[in-house]
Amino acid sequence: MKPKKLFYQVVFILAFSSILGIVANFPLIEKYFKGEYRYSFLSLEKYSSITFITLAEAEELFARREALFIDSRSKEDFRASHIMEAKNIPFETHKERKDLNVPSLPLEGTLVVYCDGSECQSSVELAKRLHKMDFKDIRIFFSGWAEWVRKGLPISLENDKK
Amino acid sequence: MIRNKHILLAFRFVVGGVFIWAGILKILDPLGFAQSIANYRIFPSALSFFLALVMPWLEVVCGAFLVFGIFRRASSFLFSGLLGAFLVLVAVTILRGIDVDCGCFGSLSQKVDYKLILTDSILLFFSLNIFFYRR
Repeated sequence: MKPKKLFYQVVFILAFSSILGIVANFPLIEKYFKGEYRYSFLSLEKYSSITFITLAEAEELFARREALFIDSRSKEDFRASHIMEAKNIPFETHKERKDLNVPSLPLEGTLVVYCDGSECQSSVELAKRLHKMDFKDIRIFFSGWAEWVRKGLPISLENDKK
Repeated sequence: MIRNKHILLAFRFVVGGVFIWAGILKILDPLGFAQSIANYRIFPSALSFFLALVMPWLEVVCGAFLVFGIFRRASSFLFSGLLGAFLVLVAVTILRGIDVDCGCFGSLSQKVDYKLILTDSILLFFSLNIFFYRR
């Protein structure tokens, strides 16, 4: 087979697959251009109890003491420092377990889940698990720990509260 | 290189079949696959999204072509390229010490580890044999 023919066939397959992918996923593409999936590829219809919040919203919930903050980072990171009064559910060590073992968390209350910052996804994964466990109001503070510290908001150091 | 037609036919069915299966699982959950790609922390978010919409269809289309013997060389050429890229991605991910699911088979995915390098290498070997075979 001549390279030119191979090239045309490859281009045809790529174009054909792209068209199929775009047509089949048109509703998702529409949502993307309306601004969804910018934080994480999470279907907010499927996970109806989850919302994404900004630093300002997290700060307000914290100030009003209206939410319980949950830190999904590792035990070591949490021990070093965390948002004041947050609880630690280290997602990496909990993800294989069926039960997250969180009996003290209120099903109806507001939970704010966070991890390092926009690079990390463990807060999203933990929020999905909490949704499946029937928690009704889960907010993902996506810019997370990095932003909180940058703004100099209250933190706890080395106090092992869990 | 293997020249036996029956073995090469078996290779086509294996490579095509694996990719059709992998593609269908991902087509069923495009957002889950987009998240899997994003978890590698290599591609920008928009590219992860685009790849997640298109790549599963490429796998199914190419897989079906390979199984039915349509555009055999072009399909195996694309699969060889994809598998080569997967190998580099897996190796880089292991070296960076990132602990992720590969996303290869949707929710049935395995962890990114050395076994995955072996699986991809075997499929790449099959695919290259199909590509270089001349009637």
